[in-house]
Amino acid sequence: MSQKSEIIIIGGGVIGTSIAYQLAKRGKKVTLMESHDHASGASGSCDQNIFLQSKNPGIHLELALASAKMFDGLEEELGSPIEYHRRGGMILIESPAEMEIMKSFVARQKQIGLEVDIIGRSEAIKLQPGLAEHIVGSTYSTMDAEVNPIELNIAYARAARKLGVDIKLETAVTDLMISNNRVIGVVTNKGEFQADLVVNATGAWAAQIAAMAGLQVPIKPRRGQIIITEPVPRFIKKGILSAQYIVAKYNPQLLEKSSSLGVKLGVGLSLSQTDKGNILIGATREFVGYDTTNSREGIREILKNATRLIPPLQNVNIIRTMGGIRPYTPDGLPLVGFVKGIDGLFMAAGHEGDGIALAPVTGRIAAELITEGKAFIDVEPLNPNRFN
Amino acid sequence: MADNSEKIYICRCEEVSKEEIEEAIKDGATTLSGIKKRTHAGMGLCQGRTCRKLISSMLVGVKEPTEIFPPTARTPVRTAKIGEFIKGEEE
Repeated sequence: MSQKSEIIIIGGGVIGTSIAYQLAKRGKKVTLMESHDHASGASGSCDQNIFLQSKNPGIHLELALASAKMFDGLEEELGSPIEYHRRGGMILIESPAEMEIMKSFVARQKQIGLEVDIIGRSEAIKLQPGLAEHIVGSTYSTMDAEVNPIELNIAYARAARKLGVDIKLETAVTDLMISNNRVIGVVTNKGEFQADLVVNATGAWAAQIAAMAGLQVPIKPRRGQIIITEPVPRFIKKGILSAQYIVAKYNPQLLEKSSSLGVKLGVGLSLSQTDKGNILIGATREFVGYDTTNSREGIREILKNATRLIPPLQNVNIIRTMGGIRPYTPDGLPLVGFVKGIDGLFMAAGHEGDGIALAPVTGRIAAELITEGKAFIDVEPLNPNRFN
Repeated sequence: MADNSEKIYICRCEEVSKEEIEEAIKDGATTLSGIKKRTHAGMGLCQGRTCRKLISSMLVGVKEPTEIFPPTARTPVRTAKIGEFIKGEEE
């Protein structure tokens, strides 16, 4: 016997639950299938930074700005704590060459409406004590923020459930039911479920679900390792990245010739401190399939990089390491929209390291496209068929 | 303020009570990792050394004992100074 709902969402991470919440708000009857539990993939193994500054000027930054607006007041709206704070963020600059890249990056971001500036070393060290002597300055934006990603995921799930979404945990989709090029439901380890529409919000696993419909999607798993320290009194005052991270993200060719192990592992600084006082130190970007383990060289290179930029970190104890898989796409943008060739199949995956930052806006865009056929901003650059 | 004298703490590092863990189970958690994500039990300094067993026993009834898996083991085994990790092998 199979049950029927209007919409089935596959994936109970931050993207799937955000979409479920937005659809339920619009009166849709939604069932969400999660193969394990909430926050079991990237949503539960990432850091807490919501950086606007790290986004490429263009649709990427526009999405982040729209999402930032939604984060204001989100905790009250969802009714569960999410530890959202706008502490501001800095991108540390180590050389005149990086300074040049960051100046043009910042100038383009300003045009889109981001409040961001380049500040010199003396001002930077006032905002974040302990900076290494070679640091020449940083960017600074008061708009960067932090959120507890696990709490965000669970808050969305609870709010969605309150609005009537049927969340089925430990329910793994093993196949899509397709008839006349139209998705009519899913097959799971707990039976068959019918629906008019299926949303693929499975992050780094989205290509496997798409393949069940015979579609090829260029989403690849990319590992990020993160280190967690003991709780200490507030030492990291802002969200902190290094310009090297931005260069690695948008100008990877500049680093291609480097033979350093850190560069090979894609190490770029990402720092923040939680409400409880734990410092989160990241991260690597590695293509190692679905391996979520931590590697000795990964941990070492992350810590070497972090202490090179902020030497006093050497005296802090670490209590835990994490390894998580992020959904990489070739152009760094997620795939959000209806797929071509199979009716009733909607993609919302491929956010890589931006899933937390873009979760609110992705939920809104997906719900608008599904219920109204049109989103509040032009989402053509997110068209899931753009790689065909 | 609430009277905490009657509370039974399962995770001492993160001060998570028996009641909060029961709430998490009601919320859908069926694994140690699910409880950890909902309550922070096991996220503290000792990384679940004491509470893991207690929580496992609370999950009996939700899951078969043979299906209650320990959470992923990760470095470090004990807290260790960052300086120790980066010592030596200077290229």
